[in-house]
Amino acid sequence: MKRTKFALFVLILLYLFLLGPFLVIFVASFGKQAVMTFPPRGFSLEWFDKVFHQTMFLDSFWTSLYVAFAATASALLLGIPAAYAFVRHTFPGKNLLETIISSPVIVPGLVVGFALLRFFVLLGNLPVLLGLYLGHTAILIPYALRVVTASLRNFDPDVEEAAISLGAARLRSFFLVVLPNIRAGVAAAFILSFITSFNNVPVSLFLTGPGVATLPIQMLVYMEYYFDPTIAALSSILIIVTVLIVQSAEKMLGLSKYV
Amino acid sequence: MDRKARVLGALVGPSTLFLTLFFLLPLVFVLLESFRTSGGAFSISPYITFLRSPRFLVVYGRTLKFGILVTGLSALVAYPASYALVRMSKGRRSVLMSIVILPLMTSPVARTYAWIVILGRFGMINQLLRGLGLIEQPAKLLYTQGAVIVGLAQLFLPLMVLSLVSAMENIPRDAEEAALSLGANRLTAFFRVIVPLSADGFIMGSILVFTGSITAYVTPAILGGSGVLTLATLMQQEAMVLMNWTNATIIAVVMVVTTLVFYLILRRVRPEMA
Repeated sequence: MKRTKFALFVLILLYLFLLGPFLVIFVASFGKQAVMTFPPRGFSLEWFDKVFHQTMFLDSFWTSLYVAFAATASALLLGIPAAYAFVRHTFPGKNLLETIISSPVIVPGLVVGFALLRFFVLLGNLPVLLGLYLGHTAILIPYALRVVTASLRNFDPDVEEAAISLGAARLRSFFLVVLPNIRAGVAAAFILSFITSFNNVPVSLFLTGPGVATLPIQMLVYMEYYFDPTIAALSSILIIVTVLIVQSAEKMLGLSKYV
Repeated sequence: MDRKARVLGALVGPSTLFLTLFFLLPLVFVLLESFRTSGGAFSISPYITFLRSPRFLVVYGRTLKFGILVTGLSALVAYPASYALVRMSKGRRSVLMSIVILPLMTSPVARTYAWIVILGRFGMINQLLRGLGLIEQPAKLLYTQGAVIVGLAQLFLPLMVLSLVSAMENIPRDAEEAALSLGANRLTAFFRVIVPLSADGFIMGSILVFTGSITAYVTPAILGGSGVLTLATLMQQEAMVLMNWTNATIIAVVMVVTTLVFYLILRRVRPEMA
């Protein structure tokens, strides 16, 4: 039993290492001093108040939300039909198409954003927001493809065949039979893609322009100039929201299976 | 047959077209552009000059070192931890697994900022050491190689744990019991039974952790700064500060090629996993 005890000890250390920093940042965001210190002295909600009154954080929050929503919806619309075709059909060129559609996975986000920036400059300075949307959609498509493929594989094709042999048109059977059966996978793909886009830095880094920045990029910019605990307060809020989303998604969908 | 082709075209066409236009085309364009000199002729001399410059070589070596160290450290911690997780009841394991993925899900800026609070001049460790009277001046912990490695390890350990746990779950419990009843002690059984049978998980995890570490941007940007540049932060500096698009592209090519090499190795070793 001794070896298992050692493994358990390492496991506890692992969780301390992974989660301890979140606790530290949470405590630090209530400090009174204008320079980040730990342990904090005094108690104040000033930094939380500041987060909600900084237009740069509010504006970039909405930008992030719009981009994440549009990119996630587009990636699912493009990815679900592709996943369906790959799981249900064999056809010439399938491997090549699968490689193309999953290729954004092996290209670092920084390179994706950089290439789009250069491309857009060539095409005559297209709007930054469009670049953000296209770049985020591109990296989310393989995600949507992978998660939806996994849940399609668990769905018995005979059920669909039954609907079709009973007279349902293919399109109708897809919406009335297939889609309801893979809804947990689709929901998991939505949540994972949304979080990935909302948190993304590398793709957005080169695609922010005057007046348009996503929240994580705005936080990085702020950190270069200010050392007060505002970022700690904002981080605490983001961490709590993420924990709530991830835990409820885990309960309902078993999110960690799809990561 | 014609109908099937049309249906497939409608299913796969839009995503293929989207990625060809807004992903592959820009990549090819940027790649071609990097071979063009200001006169318009094609030349590989910018590549040769930059790839041989000490500035690049130092950063590339450092980045690979970080990748190897983070992968090694992750494996060292994740092996016993995953073993403990697999030996637990299913219910408890799934609760713990949902917590393990938290670092992957939280905002990278928030997660990395926490290390500033811990490692900063007036951060947790320095205050603790000064409180104990062990040091008088705050030690420089932030903007060091160690800080970057710690930050990367927190981010990528979950990937190693996920890979190893899913591999170890498939090992029948009997395999280890058999080794024990034949006289092996637990440590021998672990190294001779569990480790070889979870090799797939280790390979997959290592590739995810290594490629993730050498292309990560936020962690080295916040915890390393301009003193501890990696490929990603060097690329940002070349592009946004020095406005040298060619050098930035060369770094991008190096990152993609290095990542690709590891995926190809994986495809060789374990074709079914790639």
